[in-house]
Amino acid sequence: MASIITATTTSGLTQSADNSGVLQLASGTGNLVTVPSVTGTAMVSGNMPAFSARAATTQSLANTTYTKVTLGTEQFDTNSNFASSTFTPTVEGYYIITGSVIVQSGASAVIAAIYKNGSEVASGTALPASGIFSATATTSLVVYCNGSSDYIELFAYQGSGGSVTIGSGFATQMTGCLIRRA
Amino acid sequence: MSLYEKIIAIHPSLANIDFTTVIRLQDNSDGKGAYIAKWEHPTLPRPTAEELA
Repeated sequence: MASIITATTTSGLTQSADNSGVLQLASGTGNLVTVPSVTGTAMVSGNMPAFSARAATTQSLANTTYTKVTLGTEQFDTNSNFASSTFTPTVEGYYIITGSVIVQSGASAVIAAIYKNGSEVASGTALPASGIFSATATTSLVVYCNGSSDYIELFAYQGSGGSVTIGSGFATQMTGCLIRRA
Repeated sequence: MSLYEKIIAIHPSLANIDFTTVIRLQDNSDGKGAYIAKWEHPTLPRPTAEELA
């Protein structure tokens, strides 16, 4: 049972009501949206955090040391949840996160790792081909964030034997977006 | 001398693979430098602060 608001093809908007506390929005003959009475939340763009940030400058990456990537240029940050190269969403739910790191020269393998609350939760590795100037490692995952204390960061690693340089620009970036409320 | 170099000087038998498996060095880019975030090597002891100073 539900209270239903329907956009019909003959009578414009019609409505029927009951005491279930459930609201349905319908178009023609099919229900489009159900707003549960007890659990669940209908998402709209206004409460779906999304961000994209990239490296504004190059960064030294020490040998065999997981290093937080500095992402100094925000391309967008719809809910003001990104600061100090850290994404701390204020809406609870499941987020898709992507990260990529380009190492400009001298690397052996390079790893891009997504951290949640200081621990690695996803990683991807790239190996530069012979004669190729750079290598880009990418990774992604869907991760739950509690909307208050959980935070996400991008780290990089390489083991060439010396320091190498993380490139700036769009090849070194992290993005994320809420895809489902908890 | 980097943290990695200090650790290798103490434990020369360590290999690069150890630093992606049983040992993790980490730098949070907060100006405090690198530190040992994890040391789970099955035989070699974690270097002390005095050894790394």
